[in-house]
Amino acid sequence: MAAGFKTAEPLEYHRSFLKENCRPDGRELGEFRATTLNIGSINTADGSALVKIGNTTVICGIKAELAAPTVDAPESGYIVPNVDLPPLCSSRFRPGPPGEKAQAASQFVADVIESSDVIQKKDLCIEKGKLCWVLYCDIMCLDYDGNLLDACIIALLAALKNAQLPEVTINKETDLAEVDFQKKNRLKINRHPTASSFSVFDDSVIIVDPTAEEEGLSTALMTVVTDEEDRLCMLHKPGGSSLSGEKLQDCINRAVMRNREVSKLIDKVMESVKAKK
Amino acid sequence: MPTDTKRLRGPEESQSPMLFLPPDAQILKASSRDGSRGHADVRPIFARCGLVSQAKGSAYLEAGNTKIICSVYGPRETERKDETDMKSGRLLCDFRLAPFSCLKRGAWIQGNEERDLSVALIESLQPGVCLHRYPRSQIEINVVVLENDGSILAHAVTCASIALADAGIEMYDVVLGCTLRQDGDTCLVDPTFAEESGNWLGGYGENQGRVTVALLPNFNQVSGLHADGEMREDTLTEAVRTCMDGCHKLYPVVQHALLRAVKRKAPPSVK
Amino acid sequence: MEVELCPILRSFGSEQNVLSRPDGSASFVQGDTSVLAGVYGPAEVKVSKEIYDRATLEVVIQPKVGLPSVRERAREQCIRETCEAALLSTLHPRSSLTLILQVVHDDGSLLACYLNAACMALIDAGLPMSSLFCGITCAINTEGQIITDPSVQQEKESRALLTFAIDSVERKVMMSSTKGSFSVKELQQCIAVSQKASEEIFQFYRDSVKRRYSKIM
Repeated sequence: MAAGFKTAEPLEYHRSFLKENCRPDGRELGEFRATTLNIGSINTADGSALVKIGNTTVICGIKAELAAPTVDAPESGYIVPNVDLPPLCSSRFRPGPPGEKAQAASQFVADVIESSDVIQKKDLCIEKGKLCWVLYCDIMCLDYDGNLLDACIIALLAALKNAQLPEVTINKETDLAEVDFQKKNRLKINRHPTASSFSVFDDSVIIVDPTAEEEGLSTALMTVVTDEEDRLCMLHKPGGSSLSGEKLQDCINRAVMRNREVSKLIDKVMESVKAKK
Repeated sequence: MPTDTKRLRGPEESQSPMLFLPPDAQILKASSRDGSRGHADVRPIFARCGLVSQAKGSAYLEAGNTKIICSVYGPRETERKDETDMKSGRLLCDFRLAPFSCLKRGAWIQGNEERDLSVALIESLQPGVCLHRYPRSQIEINVVVLENDGSILAHAVTCASIALADAGIEMYDVVLGCTLRQDGDTCLVDPTFAEESGNWLGGYGENQGRVTVALLPNFNQVSGLHADGEMREDTLTEAVRTCMDGCHKLYPVVQHALLRAVKRKAPPSVK
Repeated sequence: MEVELCPILRSFGSEQNVLSRPDGSASFVQGDTSVLAGVYGPAEVKVSKEIYDRATLEVVIQPKVGLPSVRERAREQCIRETCEAALLSTLHPRSSLTLILQVVHDDGSLLACYLNAACMALIDAGLPMSSLFCGITCAINTEGQIITDPSVQQEKESRALLTFAIDSVERKVMMSSTKGSFSVKELQQCIAVSQKASEEIFQFYRDSVKRRYSKIM
């Protein structure tokens, strides 16, 4: 009976739960799904992390390459994030070039990197005007069940923390780069941004960490990115029903709490990885 | 080259730090298998079903460092009406190597290698699937290689057939894959990436090659055979036989993974 | 810091029905930033894009030079979802609406200008809407001052850049897109300033519609 109701009237089905201040999967309105993190599982990448938020699974692999800096910014390296939603992760995505959703997610990740100064691009410079690092941060979704952006940012941050780059020096005599794979350096992480996504039902009820089904039924989506100093790095709300300043404030407060939870998780996993070595 | 406007682009040119190593250090040393495993041994595999919640069926397979994930969607109505086959279904495949899966960063745009692999995968799986049971429909197989440490085609075949079984697609038998690398007189079963590429660049010599076999274990029939390189007739026959043995070694693990998935989906009723 | 109560917008203007082919069109000029918008529809929709209970809206951004890139695609998403919230698209099920935005010149606050041009074009096309909306960009400079409707130069000098879409009924935030980091207090100030500034634009919308239809009546 319940299954039939869910298929025929999905919105009514969700409303009946929201009326009782809970959700079909048993969560409260302000509760995130269980988040797990696995760091450094891909050996071919310079840094990698796999994040699961409920069913949603995202993997981020970082490959570092060498390039010449641009003329405009001779002291800066590059960070190139790309989000891919392969047909593997959900039947809603088709094979071929990335669709609008994947592109919007790529731009979102790029904007977060830019706005939050996660990594100072100057730190990626090896020799001014000659050589710098390019960090290709390739993010792939393996299972799409909503809240892609939160997962992407956690995966990115954890992978950056995990990344180790070989030492590169420029030989003064030959003017050529020399790479020392024995000596590896970690990246300097400047700030720790975390994203929290919200979804609005019927223009009024706000829930956190929506599943794919909840995303589809909601009237607006919003993602708030904060850092450890509780500054906002991003308030991303691509349209949808309007929210008052007070409602936004509630969401921001929840996002600040989430930042603590995620930081704790990343630290814990980083510790356990170190302990294993 | 047309620019890719659908992805964020980095600098025009960038090189892997590997290129800056002195030339002698660059060639991957095929570490000898002394102690770790015998030449005819396959790497122990780990297989699990049902990781992708959105898919009809899915599987994850790990063999050494090679990591492959596969999901199956369908059967559903064919998208391209002009290609609808009234009598039997079609297998479609999207095979991707994640950009970070290889030693050198790969491009996002599907290359020839991925296209060849996806054709090879479909051809190997087709004999095992009861396609006549799914007229006018298509079954989509999506494979992503998360880490490439050799023998990806063989393991993708195994992984995809587990995913098909998990999706409840009717099959005559599961399809298992095994790769062998012939290097002169030595043959290495289930080679790693280093073993696959070791002195490959020096050109094909006598008895140099690679063989991938896909096998239906219960019929003991070969459903797919891919060989490249140059091998003597007797070596090739021997290689195919060795691969078939290798496939049989995987069977218990695959069986176990499927059994586990079935038990979870339909727990045995306690009376 | 004092909240600036009289936000200064650059002189802005608009002309509706500028193109003959589309069902609705408008140009919107804010200072030196200028965008041309055209709306087609409701028209027949491709079967693959058909939605059974409402109209399918497509937004296309054409940059001044070159091909649209990932940034344009992300903005298209923002504008589309804002328009979808304002439009009563359930009145035109199984049909297509297309909104094309052509950049004529970019001198800052481009996203806000897209939104304003889009709204004017939708009005011109006579599509039923539950509310109007307008776009406002605020820049926070290094001294912490809020500058509304910044030019490219002011954008470059700013520490944070926030663009909001405000609806005409309750003056709430429909869309938000930000760059750079800022405090919660600064955010609330920017929202307040944008709400204030939106009055001026909504008044302009009303006047221009009045002016136009007084001729016909």
